[in-house]
Amino acid sequence: MKKFIIIIVITAAVSGCQKQYESQPLGQQVSIDYAFDTKDSAGSLALQFLNTCYQQALPNGHNRVGGDYLDAASDDAVSSQVTISKVQQIATGAYSAATPNGDDIWARNYAAIRDCNVFIGDIYRVPLAEKLPNGQPAIAAYRSEARFLRAWLYFELVKRYGGVPLLGDTVFTITQNVQVPRNSFADCINYIVSECNNIKDSLRTVAMITGTTYGRITKGAAMALKAEALMLAASPLYNGGNIDGTDPLTGYPSYDATRWQTAAQAAQDVINLGVYSLMPNFKNIFTTQAQPVGANTESIFWVQNGANNSVEKSNSPIGFSSAGAQGNTSVTQNLVDAFPTDSGYAITDSGVGYDPNNPYENRDPRLLATVFCNGTSFWLNRAIQTYDGGADKPGGSVVQTKTGYYMRKFMGPWETAQGTTQFGNTYHDYIYFRYAGILLDYAEATNEFSGPSTDVYNVLFQLRQRAGIFPGANGYYGLPMNMDQATMRAAIQNEKRIEMAFEEKRYWDIRRWKIAASVYNSAPLQGMDIVQPGNGLLSYNRVPVLTTSFKDPQMYLYPIPYSEVVKNPQMKQNPGW
Amino acid sequence: MNTRYLRYLTLVWLTLVTAGLLKPAQAQTPKRVVSGVVRDASGPLAEATIVEKGMPANATTSAANGEFHLTLKGSSSTIIITHVSFAAQEIKVRDLHVLVRVLLKPEEKGLEEATVVGFGNTKQRGTETGAVSSINAKEIQDVPTSSVQNALAGEVAGFVAVQRSGQPGRDASDFYIRGVSSLNPAANQPLILVDDIEYTYDQLMQINVQEIETITLLKDASSTAIYGIKGASGVMLVTTKRGIAGRPHFDIRVEGGEQSPVITPKFLSAYPAAILTNEALTNDGLKPQFTDADLAAFKAKNDPYGHPDVNWYKAIMRPLTQQANTDLDISGGTSHVKYFINAGAFTQNGTIRNFSTNTDGVDNNYFYNRYTLRSNLDIQASRNLSLRLDATTRYMDINQPYGQNVINDIYNYNDYHPFSAPFLNPNGSFAYAYDTQNEMPTLNAYLSTMGYTRDRRTDFNVLAGFTEKLGDITPGLQFTGRLGYASQQENVLTLWRGFDNPPSYHYNPYNKSYTLNTGPNGGGYVLGSWMTQAGTDIDNQRVNAQLFFNYDRVFNAAHHVNALLLWNEDNFRDDIGSIFHFPLGVPAKYTGYSLKLGYDYKQKYMADFNMGYNGSSRFQGGHQFGFFPAAGLGWNIAKENFWVPLENTISLFKLRASYGIVGSDVALGNQYLYAQTYNQGNGYSFGQSPQDGGTISEGPLGNNNVTWQKSRKYDIGLDFNMFKGKLTSTTDYFHEHVYNQLVVPANLPLILGVGVSPTNVGITQNLGWEETINYHDRIGQVTYSLGIVFTHNHNRILYEAEAYPAFPWLAVTGHQINQPFGYIFQGYYSAADVADPKVAKPNTATAVHPGDLKYKDLNGDGVIDQNDIKPISNPNVPNTTIGTPIKIGYKNFDLSVLFQGAFDYGFFLYGVAIEPFQSQWQPIHLKRWTPETAASAQFPRLTTNPTTVNSPAVYASNYWWINAYYIRLKNLDLNYNIPKKDLPLRLRSARIYLTAYNLLTWSNVKKKYQQDPEVQSNTVGDAYLNQKVIQLGIQVGL
Repeated sequence: MKKFIIIIVITAAVSGCQKQYESQPLGQQVSIDYAFDTKDSAGSLALQFLNTCYQQALPNGHNRVGGDYLDAASDDAVSSQVTISKVQQIATGAYSAATPNGDDIWARNYAAIRDCNVFIGDIYRVPLAEKLPNGQPAIAAYRSEARFLRAWLYFELVKRYGGVPLLGDTVFTITQNVQVPRNSFADCINYIVSECNNIKDSLRTVAMITGTTYGRITKGAAMALKAEALMLAASPLYNGGNIDGTDPLTGYPSYDATRWQTAAQAAQDVINLGVYSLMPNFKNIFTTQAQPVGANTESIFWVQNGANNSVEKSNSPIGFSSAGAQGNTSVTQNLVDAFPTDSGYAITDSGVGYDPNNPYENRDPRLLATVFCNGTSFWLNRAIQTYDGGADKPGGSVVQTKTGYYMRKFMGPWETAQGTTQFGNTYHDYIYFRYAGILLDYAEATNEFSGPSTDVYNVLFQLRQRAGIFPGANGYYGLPMNMDQATMRAAIQNEKRIEMAFEEKRYWDIRRWKIAASVYNSAPLQGMDIVQPGNGLLSYNRVPVLTTSFKDPQMYLYPIPYSEVVKNPQMKQNPGW
Repeated sequence: MNTRYLRYLTLVWLTLVTAGLLKPAQAQTPKRVVSGVVRDASGPLAEATIVEKGMPANATTSAANGEFHLTLKGSSSTIIITHVSFAAQEIKVRDLHVLVRVLLKPEEKGLEEATVVGFGNTKQRGTETGAVSSINAKEIQDVPTSSVQNALAGEVAGFVAVQRSGQPGRDASDFYIRGVSSLNPAANQPLILVDDIEYTYDQLMQINVQEIETITLLKDASSTAIYGIKGASGVMLVTTKRGIAGRPHFDIRVEGGEQSPVITPKFLSAYPAAILTNEALTNDGLKPQFTDADLAAFKAKNDPYGHPDVNWYKAIMRPLTQQANTDLDISGGTSHVKYFINAGAFTQNGTIRNFSTNTDGVDNNYFYNRYTLRSNLDIQASRNLSLRLDATTRYMDINQPYGQNVINDIYNYNDYHPFSAPFLNPNGSFAYAYDTQNEMPTLNAYLSTMGYTRDRRTDFNVLAGFTEKLGDITPGLQFTGRLGYASQQENVLTLWRGFDNPPSYHYNPYNKSYTLNTGPNGGGYVLGSWMTQAGTDIDNQRVNAQLFFNYDRVFNAAHHVNALLLWNEDNFRDDIGSIFHFPLGVPAKYTGYSLKLGYDYKQKYMADFNMGYNGSSRFQGGHQFGFFPAAGLGWNIAKENFWVPLENTISLFKLRASYGIVGSDVALGNQYLYAQTYNQGNGYSFGQSPQDGGTISEGPLGNNNVTWQKSRKYDIGLDFNMFKGKLTSTTDYFHEHVYNQLVVPANLPLILGVGVSPTNVGITQNLGWEETINYHDRIGQVTYSLGIVFTHNHNRILYEAEAYPAFPWLAVTGHQINQPFGYIFQGYYSAADVADPKVAKPNTATAVHPGDLKYKDLNGDGVIDQNDIKPISNPNVPNTTIGTPIKIGYKNFDLSVLFQGAFDYGFFLYGVAIEPFQSQWQPIHLKRWTPETAASAQFPRLTTNPTTVNSPAVYASNYWWINAYYIRLKNLDLNYNIPKKDLPLRLRSARIYLTAYNLLTWSNVKKKYQQDPEVQSNTVGDAYLNQKVIQLGIQVGL
């Protein structure tokens, strides 16, 4: 029996192990206390959580949609890809609720909203010691950044889907009822505006930004977001042009002119801050870091992108293959034609110096800052060759321009770079809001509310002057005098198209202005077929490159993803889908 | 259990051992010596073991003349005579003065064959109520493969194996018991127990098959219920050999063989390749790459530098590679101490030619070396106490070329073409693929200069145990304790030359100039200096402790009762992983109690009740412990009185049925799913010079209710033996309802905003049948045995919380697990189809052409897109497998042959395996569609475009998915036993044998793909080619 006692001892000893189940599994970072450590006065892990919010909320707009700019899904460009690109699917209306288009951000944005809500709800657990330069606790600024990002995420959703479910500060648990209905369009706009109002004063101002906080959301960004949201709300698609009658999910039930007034005031407030001004050189806007660390006085809100050459590589003409050029973006003739002459006249005006056989001479300098044109644009010390058989349009099945043009905008100054066949690194922050856009908002809203006043004209004068257009004898930069409201509206719309090409504006503006159906359905998008016959004289022929299609009216809003509607009976689908 | 406990336990253990050993000897009783002679049909038999019944410690062995003397100590007056290859005999000694004459008879298999069912329990075929199949390792010991799971394919019913690769050291098959039944891939792996201690797949593949005594598969709920939470996917029990008392036996095996690929891929030479290249370019409206002069040069093969024509497969690979195996067993012992010691060395080299011609002599070829050592000791410490100490260690080296997947490079058209470069330039310098985008130096340039990656692993296992007979309390009761420890450590050593490429030149034969390759991104190529880097990539430990009571007794010669009561605890730690990596360093802990109760009445009626009550640390309190009951009933009709007339024909006719519940605690990635985790990643950059800030984000939401998967299993079986055991048959029908499976629900709205952990919602069923038939007999001097081993299973997803599909044919529910989906082939587009707008076209920018693959427009929207796919073919794991073990013996010759086949599975490869301009040109491309061959085409129109409707990668379809089968001459074993009289010196035995593995293969996969039919489907098919092996061996016993 002695042995038995020993055996029992062993049993007892081994049984002792039973209590040793790990209370927390080692090696996994668990519980909210990990990220939001109540003893971490530096808040380093919590701020990494905020980094997640930034990363999720601010996608890099360069070649964002399946390798293309979103604007390549508008009438400004087409993708050069050989296969059917995501932007082409959008432009040709090849998407549905079950197979969403390449810009469907539903899942991504709700994931990011959740991240923001986690941060907003838990950041006060962290005893963050940091102070802003004005002595205020930085914790409030960080929390406001997350609230800004959340408002921005909703703004991006509302642009696409109309009214969407507003979750407030809710962080859903796995057992909670996630089947929530959509809020009205008005609720969403009001929410975004009130968030911006509430946070603007606790955010950093531009002056408080330092070399290490560069890239953080500022007060100006919140005010600009408010202006943009109000512009959206005042726009024809929602304000009087509701595609679903009086359904509050898809817009306002009726027109209200004061929405334009509110929007104009919001833009005016940004202007009145006195912080921002136009950059003297158009090209430099996109390659210069924002003030105060850089010289860019125009940037208000952007996604950090650092210094690199990815934009150059992705979009430079394909003849520069040794530099890695892929030529992804084929600019349409439609956009090229929108640029006026260097005197500011539309090229369709007669007797303004536009030569169809020399079409890129004497044009608004923004043309060559935006588009690579055959023979006229230079790149790495060589003239662009997009004539048939040229180095940048060799024919065959390789990826190359479909239109005779490539995109130039956003790139560094590699026209005349000496002694290199490679692109160096340039700052490529992708700007969501810049001062020129706010000016145009102000002009558009003011024109809509009270007509083409001097203030409205002044906005166009400022932009054209900066672009390098000759003011002309009357100082009108080629613009007609005494335009009526509709003419001025068209002038503003064209100015915005050429000033802000590839900045994800045109694609949304044609929807917001409710002109997308006519833009997409009127005629095929055009390119320029340039032939170099034996005599060396080029011949230019406009050719159709893509027949776009837009189902009116349902494509004014994206379909809510099919699976989302199936999983949630409360989720009402947009009209027509 | 932590190391402190381990140390403590060891101390207690040692105390116990010492106590046992120091126990005073038994009191003396008057000497009663029994003497006798053991013989078999051919004469006196040495080394038979003679044991006194009821006193296992009291034993002796017969001498060379068969004589033995044993002093009886107990009261039974009965001795038991055993010998390895003979049936045991029990003899009652009536008169001590009469010499006992014992005639041992060869062991007859069949009725009384015992099967190991775990924790010291065995079951007779006549009384088993569960679904259990078993194989003696002798049957597979000659199979020339390094891993035991390869050798088992086709030998055991219910064992489904697929060998995914032939790479030395990485060629072990994936295997399943009764196929795949869970949506959670990790939960389909059976529990592997070696001497009742859990092993991983990796550890199993390293075991030397010579160490193994038997392998048993436990398949139904009744036999696996005691493993409870780990038993759902079946259990593989491996028992190792143990010493038998007697003088030391030395058994030496030396084997060596040649390997060659099962399939040698054929690629087109430069001339046909250039023609096809031109044709594809022309089809795409592009300029042909080769002029007529080029083609003429390729055809004439007279310009080896201007128009090279290299078969890179033949240039790089050698046709034959070698393997060798040496093995030494020493076993023997006395009645107090018995030992089995095995040492093995296995080596296998790889398929690359020797390119290490330069002075550094770096061996970068594939190879595998394995050294194993096992020592199993049994100590009879006292009359009732026996101890065991098993120690085993295994060391291995796996080598492969650094940074190079050689097969991929050879198949990959974008790396090299037959006409890209000569093997070497005329001055002996390396060439490079001058005509490709990547301009890679030739494969031989890399293999000559770039070093290796070597995995070096050490496994260590030790098992200490005791068994105390508790006959004092009640006869038939014994108590066992065991403590097992297993560890695995692997270190990766890389010898490389940094990121540089070897210098290589383009030779222009016309002006005899050499141009240094600067690569697509410029910069000179220089040979860097050697660098080494090493790191640990596997480091885990397992501690297992068991205590159990066994009880086995027959009452009134009719009521046979057996029982097991078990306490078992297992701790596993994996210590690799850091906060920057997906955490692997998660402990897994398991504990449980099991009870097994068996009863049979005169082997006629039998009933078993088994249960496990066990828990896993993977679940939260309250959800940790589960109860897994199962029962089995059996009725051997052949024991009934009315059967007497049939008894001579059918000696066993047993119906059995079992039903029960078993579970699986396996979580994908070995995670604690109830815990909310946070992930770290690269982040958003702030600052004037942007600095990556790092991110922390929520991982999938923890699931507080996570618990084990459950399987409700039925099994109905029929076992019969006919013609005096010559014909034996075992049939099983099974049905498994697998529920509470951990799947990630796809039906939660996205506005939740975060992923969720798997929840216990998946339901599948798996049903099928198995058959094992064997017939053995002799015709004159020829003995033979014919068998069929058949397994069929079919699973179906009943529920997996999938999002509602846009079209009904897109649903996965109702189909098999891992069901492939694809387009439906309807012929090739004709010119009329292309012109007809009513014929559906694919959704690509490139217009279709005549000769493109035409697929069915399932939803009738005129567009071939993602909505037009439906279930096609079968999943990749075979649903039906069959094996035919055949044995023939004649005099001193034995031949055994195993054909093995697999059916009802899907096979599909894409990319470098088959697609033009991704793969090398292959013979099947010659059968492409052209206007002339439209009627007989076996391949679509050639195109350079990788994304057309013809691409299997973009448009997987039943044109590309083969409903596959293969039949193999899997194993062949021809033995010649040298007759005893011819043996020189004092050899006990000797034999010479010729064995083969994968000798012949028939498969319909060959018609389309040049890869082995067992490689992983739905890949680019660049696995190391599976090998066939022919080996010659000699075994000598001393």
